Amino acid sequence: MTTNDGLSRRSLLRTAGLIGVGVGASSLVACTAESGGTPAAGAASGAVGAPDAADLDKAIKAAVKGKEIKVGFTPPVLSENFTQIENAAWRKMYEYEQRFGCSWVWERQAPVGDFNAVQGTLGIVQAWVSRKFDAIAVCTGANFATVQSLYKNAASKGVKIYQFNQPAELYPEDQLQTVTNVGYDNRWQSGYLAGKYIADKLGGQGNILQIWGPSGSDWTRGRRIGFDKALTEHPGIKVVGEADGGYVRDKGFTAAQDLLTKNNKVNAIYGENEEMALGASQAIDTAGLKHWDGKEGILTVGADGLVSGYKQIRAGKLSATVDIGGVDQGQNLIEAIFATAVLGQAVTQIINNPTQVVDKSNVDWHQAYTEWALAAPKKYGA
Amino acid sequence: MSTASSRGWRTRALQDPAIGILVLLAVASTVIAFIEPTFATRGNVTNIINAMMTISFLAVGMTVVLIAGGLDLSVGSVMGLSAGVAANFLADGIPMPLAFLCALAVGTGLGLINGLLITKLGVPDFIATLAMLSLAGGALLYWTRGVPILGYMSEPYYYIGGLRRVVGPITIPMLLVVVIAVTVAIVLNLSKFGVKLYAVGSSSTGALHAGVRVDRIKIAAYAISGFMAAVAGIHLAGRTTTVPPSIGSGYEISAIAAAVIGGASLLGGKGRVVGALIGALTLTLTRNIINLTGVESSWQAVVIGLVLILAVLANQTWSDLARFVRPRPG
Amino acid sequence: MSSRARVARVLGIDGVPILIAFVAVAVYFSLAVPSFFDADALRFYLNEEVPVFIITAGLAFVIIAGGIDLSVGAVLGLSAGTSLLASMNGFSTPLATLVGLGTGFAFGVINGFIIVKLRLNDFIVTLGSLNVAAGLLVVLTDHVQIVGTQDGSYLAIANTSVLGVTSAMLIAVATVAVLQLVLVKTILGRKVMATGLGQTPALIAGIDVGRVKYFAYILSGTLAGLGGVVLASRLNSVQPGLAGGYELAAIAAAVLGGVSLAGGRGGIWQAALGVLLLVTLKQGFRLMGVDPLVFSIITGLCILAGVILDRGVRRLALSLAAPAPAVTDNRELAPAMEAK
Repeated sequence: MTTNDGLSRRSLLRTAGLIGVGVGASSLVACTAESGGTPAAGAASGAVGAPDAADLDKAIKAAVKGKEIKVGFTPPVLSENFTQIENAAWRKMYEYEQRFGCSWVWERQAPVGDFNAVQGTLGIVQAWVSRKFDAIAVCTGANFATVQSLYKNAASKGVKIYQFNQPAELYPEDQLQTVTNVGYDNRWQSGYLAGKYIADKLGGQGNILQIWGPSGSDWTRGRRIGFDKALTEHPGIKVVGEADGGYVRDKGFTAAQDLLTKNNKVNAIYGENEEMALGASQAIDTAGLKHWDGKEGILTVGADGLVSGYKQIRAGKLSATVDIGGVDQGQNLIEAIFATAVLGQAVTQIINNPTQVVDKSNVDWHQAYTEWALAAPKKYGA
Repeated sequence: MSTASSRGWRTRALQDPAIGILVLLAVASTVIAFIEPTFATRGNVTNIINAMMTISFLAVGMTVVLIAGGLDLSVGSVMGLSAGVAANFLADGIPMPLAFLCALAVGTGLGLINGLLITKLGVPDFIATLAMLSLAGGALLYWTRGVPILGYMSEPYYYIGGLRRVVGPITIPMLLVVVIAVTVAIVLNLSKFGVKLYAVGSSSTGALHAGVRVDRIKIAAYAISGFMAAVAGIHLAGRTTTVPPSIGSGYEISAIAAAVIGGASLLGGKGRVVGALIGALTLTLTRNIINLTGVESSWQAVVIGLVLILAVLANQTWSDLARFVRPRPG
Repeated sequence: MSSRARVARVLGIDGVPILIAFVAVAVYFSLAVPSFFDADALRFYLNEEVPVFIITAGLAFVIIAGGIDLSVGAVLGLSAGTSLLASMNGFSTPLATLVGLGTGFAFGVINGFIIVKLRLNDFIVTLGSLNVAAGLLVVLTDHVQIVGTQDGSYLAIANTSVLGVTSAMLIAVATVAVLQLVLVKTILGRKVMATGLGQTPALIAGIDVGRVKYFAYILSGTLAGLGGVVLASRLNSVQPGLAGGYELAAIAAAVLGGVSLAGGRGGIWQAALGVLLLVTLKQGFRLMGVDPLVFSIITGLCILAGVILDRGVRRLALSLAAPAPAVTDNRELAPAMEAK
């Protein structure tokens, strides 16, 4: 019963999410069966694995009437991170297909170029609106106001827009034209966690380097707010250098190399995403410096939660990373689409998922969880 | 040695556009060394040299194309695709020499196609190589489905990527750049092909009348550029230890900039290997100085743009000045 | 006149091959894609490309005069930033527009000055100013949070609807029309053509080649500024990297439309037709749900095919017109850069 294994693990995480995120946890999440939500929401939340669920599945199947749901999924760029999210979504889609008899049409389009290729995203979304998709899931670096007016137009045509992995927390919630935002809070669930982890490991004293994403990125803005808060809480931690690593490994590598040359007493490097942190890790190797061994050496901390990053954590090349909950994001995105676009339920505007700092102590289950998602039983689209 | 020839040598040195940019670099480096003591350390100099390798390979290839009066906008994405071939084949367990050979074949083959499109079908070089830019870039994206290629690194590849040193601060890519630079320089200066290449670039009609098979020379130039892009790709895949599909984007601009800073002309017929290396050094130094001096990283693009214009201006001013000081005999 | 000669004459008109290609593509998509004529989608895609239309018109002018301007995309992005910033800070709409146009104008003057007066290579100079303009936009957005303007009249520049068409589209059409008229109907236009055909003959003919080129760069810069204002008004937002790569789209479009990179040949409406063809391809593929990964490959192939087709048709026209073995001098039709 592999499906059930997956389900129970997810329920476990969901509970962790409830505790960890508190208010941020959505009505969807709060509606897990035991808290007595509507049966449909209970089923949609995936917590139903008990033997008596057969009747419930049948009831929902009747309500779904074999509906075909057309979903468009557009990440800002194609990368390991978004592949993980997409596979996690496929897993949930397959599950619902089996249980509730719905069918999915999945189309994935990403603008070609870098994080700034935002015009491309707008065009992709517009095409799906014209083609009358049921649900469009967006993550983009495009300007807030611009995309909201596009979403508003989509909504007026009956097309539902969802955002995932989007730093929606930086904008007034009442201006969001989306059905919901499935993500996490970049400030307190990513930037702050990384800053706090570094400060704790260093005992509140030390010099750090920061390698950020491209200027103007919302993710960078959010994570910086959180990291800064951690810094004010630990005045002994000094930022001795920062650079733009453009979210890619070779720029992160070169930037870290230059900064390490300039500062010979560095205790930790924060890479705002994992690719840049891995680049920094290479710079440490190349410079003949020592990686953190639990007591001394240079600490490298990233953020994303990629399988490749987890492997580096095991190898001792990356000290830690913030798992931004990509698997849960993918699964909850589908759950939200199913609840709203199929069953017609309402959900909260912000659905934040559990995140966690991952280091050697807990890398095993994080990696296993992500690999479970990547082994989706069915690939959709293309 | 006669006085006449030594004077000729001196005149040539004075008029050498590379001197202008070298003077500029020397002045800038001295100033920075005073402001930022870590700049002139052995460690930093090694970093700079290691970081300039990729652009150096590309710039040498670009210089050959520019000499022939062409332009190759596709080097970045051809480099990316070659890196993808090398990495993916290695990850599939194909032996390293074979994987590298395939990567080189892909790069050279795409260069050949560029050359054929331009000479045989008469597509303007700008357009042909722009189309190749989207083709090769798109091919890598489609092949990888946008997911970075991982898990191909091995002990020897760390050496090729320049992440491990052979002896002292020397790495394999440094040796390779020297070997390639010397070889290409010899070909350009001493071989018949080199003479024809400059002739084609200076005036293809003239070369045609002189019996040079212009098309062949041009095709060869693009093939060399493609080959160098593949070399750069093999090296870069080792340096970054991962190949994201966007790995080559923007490198064509750096390569053109490096070649032109080094004295190559977009009008053809001009350019040298040593110039390409100086150009690559200029670009790498600029980035290094920005990082070291703590200039806000958002200014990076502005500074690089200004350096580009200033460097070309310095080249031109230097040769104007030299001509003014000592009129060219004849 | 024989029918053969008539066909040859029609085919020989610059822009006819591209027009045929455009019609063929449009017919294909309208049959293959049901939502192709969805009014909203059409309006969206045309609106989206208005800035490209505008800079292509200016760029075509520079190319016809024998130059190249790679900075247009970045200058457009920067002008959008300065203009929107001005409007946010309470500048009246005409003033904010002027700020945008002025930014583009300034870059045009700088490009023109360095290329014409300092005699540096146009490709490299405009590549440098591309970096400078793009970098300044990064600096600008890094230091100022550009949240958009509240001034309705500024937003009306691009978003006013006139009989189902947006004002932005009208601006694009007007720009193309005016520039086409200037190119073919004025002395200045003829001087531009002559300059592009060959600087030395033009000089001998008494044309101040430097001045003509200077003018072309200023025009292209200012139009990039105009494009920026339209873009800022439509999006009411600006971010780093805005309009990056537009220059390549514009050059590809101009060449597709039969503008020769060697200078001296082509027209503005043909270049605009090139944009229209690329837009149609893009829209069609999007609505068909073609993966953008493949899309990039297809676009590359289409550009190649278009250029080869254009060349082939012109050869055909030549051979039809002259029944004797056609005088198709390879060199005359050959690549751009070497002729410059």
